Amino acid sequence: MRLEHWFTKLSFWLHLLLHRREVDQELDDEIGYHLEAKTEENIAKGMTPVEARRAACIELGGEEQVKEQVWAARPGTWLETFVQDVRFGLRILRKSPGFASVAILILALGVGANTAIFSIMNGLMLRPLPVRDPERLVELLHQYPGEPPFNGFSWDAYQILRDGNHVFSDLIVGSVNFFTVRADTLQPQTVFGGNVGGTFFQSLGLHAAPGRLIGPEDVRMGSPAPVAVVSWSFWKSRFDLDPGIIGKKIVVNDAPFTIIGVTQRGFYGISEQAQQDIWLPVSLGPSPGWGFGLLGQLKPGVSIEQARAEMAGLFQRAVNAPDAGPFVKKMKLRIEPAGRGVSTPLRETLSTPVIVLMVMVGLLLLLACANLTGLLLARAASRQHEMAVRACLGAGRARLIRQTLTESLLLSMMGTALGILLAYCGTRGLIRIFGSGRQIIGLPVHFETLSKPDWHVLLFTWAIAITTALLFGAVPAIRACRPISAQSLRETARSGESRSQRLFGKSLVVSQVAVSLVLLSSAALFVGYLSHLRSLNPGFRRDHLLLVSLDTAHSGYKDAQYARLSEQLVAKLETIPGVKSATLSIVSPMQGPGASASAFEHGHADDAHNILINNVAPNYFGTYDTPLLSGRYFSAQDRDKPLVAIMNQAAARECFGTENPIGKQLTLSHITLTEGEITYEVVGVVANAKYNDIQQPAPPTIYRDLFQDGSIGSELAVRTTIAPDAVAGTIRETVSSVLKTVPIVRIMTMNEQIDASIVPERLIATLSGWFGALGALLAAIGLYGLLAYTVTRRTHEIGVRMAMGATRSDVMGMVLRDAFWTVCAGLALGAPLAFWAKSMAASLIQDLPTKSPASILFGGGVMIMLGLIAAYIPARRAMGFDPLATLRYE
Amino acid sequence: MSKPSDLVQGTLDMLLLKILALEPMNGFAVSQRLKQMSGDVLQVSDGSLYPALHKLEQEGWITAEWKTSEYGRRAKYYSLTRLGRRRLEKETDNWGRLSSAITRVIKLKEA
Repeated sequence: MRLEHWFTKLSFWLHLLLHRREVDQELDDEIGYHLEAKTEENIAKGMTPVEARRAACIELGGEEQVKEQVWAARPGTWLETFVQDVRFGLRILRKSPGFASVAILILALGVGANTAIFSIMNGLMLRPLPVRDPERLVELLHQYPGEPPFNGFSWDAYQILRDGNHVFSDLIVGSVNFFTVRADTLQPQTVFGGNVGGTFFQSLGLHAAPGRLIGPEDVRMGSPAPVAVVSWSFWKSRFDLDPGIIGKKIVVNDAPFTIIGVTQRGFYGISEQAQQDIWLPVSLGPSPGWGFGLLGQLKPGVSIEQARAEMAGLFQRAVNAPDAGPFVKKMKLRIEPAGRGVSTPLRETLSTPVIVLMVMVGLLLLLACANLTGLLLARAASRQHEMAVRACLGAGRARLIRQTLTESLLLSMMGTALGILLAYCGTRGLIRIFGSGRQIIGLPVHFETLSKPDWHVLLFTWAIAITTALLFGAVPAIRACRPISAQSLRETARSGESRSQRLFGKSLVVSQVAVSLVLLSSAALFVGYLSHLRSLNPGFRRDHLLLVSLDTAHSGYKDAQYARLSEQLVAKLETIPGVKSATLSIVSPMQGPGASASAFEHGHADDAHNILINNVAPNYFGTYDTPLLSGRYFSAQDRDKPLVAIMNQAAARECFGTENPIGKQLTLSHITLTEGEITYEVVGVVANAKYNDIQQPAPPTIYRDLFQDGSIGSELAVRTTIAPDAVAGTIRETVSSVLKTVPIVRIMTMNEQIDASIVPERLIATLSGWFGALGALLAAIGLYGLLAYTVTRRTHEIGVRMAMGATRSDVMGMVLRDAFWTVCAGLALGAPLAFWAKSMAASLIQDLPTKSPASILFGGGVMIMLGLIAAYIPARRAMGFDPLATLRYE
Repeated sequence: MSKPSDLVQGTLDMLLLKILALEPMNGFAVSQRLKQMSGDVLQVSDGSLYPALHKLEQEGWITAEWKTSEYGRRAKYYSLTRLGRRRLEKETDNWGRLSSAITRVIKLKEA
């Protein structure tokens, strides 16, 4: 029964769709027949033919009206009306291309900015990993006070956490490392990968595309099976999906492995940013360092808070082991959700900027909507007459509202389409800024996954499109709702508006000024902060300094041989014209994390301090221009003498207080990646210089003699007297000629390296600068539009004023005053918001100079200036009115 | 525009189905018959008749074909389908139950 019913309906629709003309003709005939029959009946009753026809029509209620009703009852009528509305709307927009293109452009900018930032936010923070129950996945991190958290645990800690907990259904071993891989058909290359435990793939619910994945049988105490699993994308890009990959040999970090399987398509590892391509079984058992990456899978029903509470206690037990170092004891455990990928330095550093930017683009979109509302308002006023005519011709009120909303929707759809295009280009630009950051463990991060659009982004964008259409379409729609008076038929665009309408138009501009003040002052704050960072004195001269980073890992040189060669290299570099001096160290400033140690005066191990270390060649301080405060620099004569060290001022104060450190014995223990204690004689104190973070005060640092220490210096620094780029080529050749087997990783200036360390700050400053400028421009356009419209409307009034004796400057003053007070009202409204925004920004970003009101004053000044410029054009026009002409015009 | 406001919602459909159940007829004839049968009590304007007829056609309860009328002109004749007949039975049942219930209530003696 039901099926039959639907079938009939469907065939009826099809009939309607395919035979439109016939169906309409039939309806005409049917109604026509009715009228004729009725007329004949009426004639039979004794009416005249004309009367009879008229009576029949009256009784029917109008031929066209009945047809309308029949049409309205048909299925799919709404679609037909919609198509009609769209076609009409397009025609209307084509008739005013200027308005249409401005509106579409404004929207495109608003939507594009939002989509671009949202797609980054989506990739960075929202997208879940393609694993089983991502919401139950957490990661474990250890954190030393004042340092970023790190997902790595010692063998002992892992065992304690694994065996003692009651909150995880599995404690999975899985890390993000990088490996150098090569095979018969594969050039040596570095890729991200991971060392995984036997339950990794199983617990995450992953399958092998071909072959099998690493299981518990591959992970044994001491020596894991020499097997490897590669990702689907690795299989595709490197092996062209060759089914013979199973059983192939692959060399990872110089050890042979057999490929046993490929992971399922779409799995890029446990980090959204570092695309992992190869997994090896982890080597179980005690090992130096904290190398076990841990993921927990919460038992069903267990909350992350419960896990935190229980695991904190277990971790305390692990770090209080008798053989743990003094710093280990200060470590705390952190447990964070990992369903969207494990935290990476990228997410840690970028999530704040992205949130700040998201707020800014949201405001920008709001501003764009207010702007468009203003535009549409002026248009609606000029279309009042048209609307009245259409209402008189029988258009229902609902129909008019639908028509205006369709027009708004049309605008927003076109704006959105263009905006998506802009967002696509914009995201590429953003990724270029990201990519300029210092590389995490020597590999560029895979940003492609960040910009990949998915249904979240599309949904977001369409939601924006519809919301904006409703926001700025509401006003004309409400206009269309107003009762149609006979007066509105007579009215022309110039005639008066009600007071409330005028106020509404003005309040739109006021709110635009307020929002753009918030945007501008925030932008000024961020840009100011960036230029402050760029002009900071890092403790060395940052200009005319070229850095050359070498990959010394696979050179084949013996340590002593390398030391001799690198010394020759430095000497040879200094002979290049334009080079003042050159030096070598194991890390260069702002390059990234370096080495640290625990330092204390010999014999006072209980008074140890955490201190950063760097090994430098004798002329390091001369090349970097870091002044010597007391004592002496390293020299070539130190080579075979007792070990010496140089401290910076902060380290001297930390270790020796006010005493003179020169000649004192200093002991270092727990040096990164080494064991045991070494004692040095302090021979000099240098000025403080920043080490890794330009924003923080210079940390206590101890410098050791690179050649005395026998370590490999891979970071060359060259002080030039001419532009560094001019000598970069010669330097590159010289390095390659001396160190023949050592590839150059990169050459960049010190300023570039500093810039690479402040990507989030640059990102915020650059984008907020753009958004602020855009916002201010929109507000100025809004003000201009309002004034231009007002002046046109007041043509007559101005004519009268001039006829009564107002001078041209009076008229100009009147318009400018109007603009000035409108802007001031906006500023008064925006200032508290801007202050509030500032304190919000300060809570997110440390060290912002939030005390001074300079940024807000700057924003206010810019807005007043822009306002006056925007007002000048209509003011000039008003001034040019000929009183006689304007009066006659009426 | 004229709506069958005096008719209980949905009863117009039932009346039309009933009229067409007797014999196939055209729209004009339906309107004549409606007036004649209900003795002008039910005010159904000609204007609301056609939308209703077309709705019934869409639902598949009635079907139409063009025939020559008694005036010698071609007119659209509606007739009941199998689905329509079933529908009519259901509506008649409902109506019977509804009207008898209302009648019972109305006839309650005041205490």
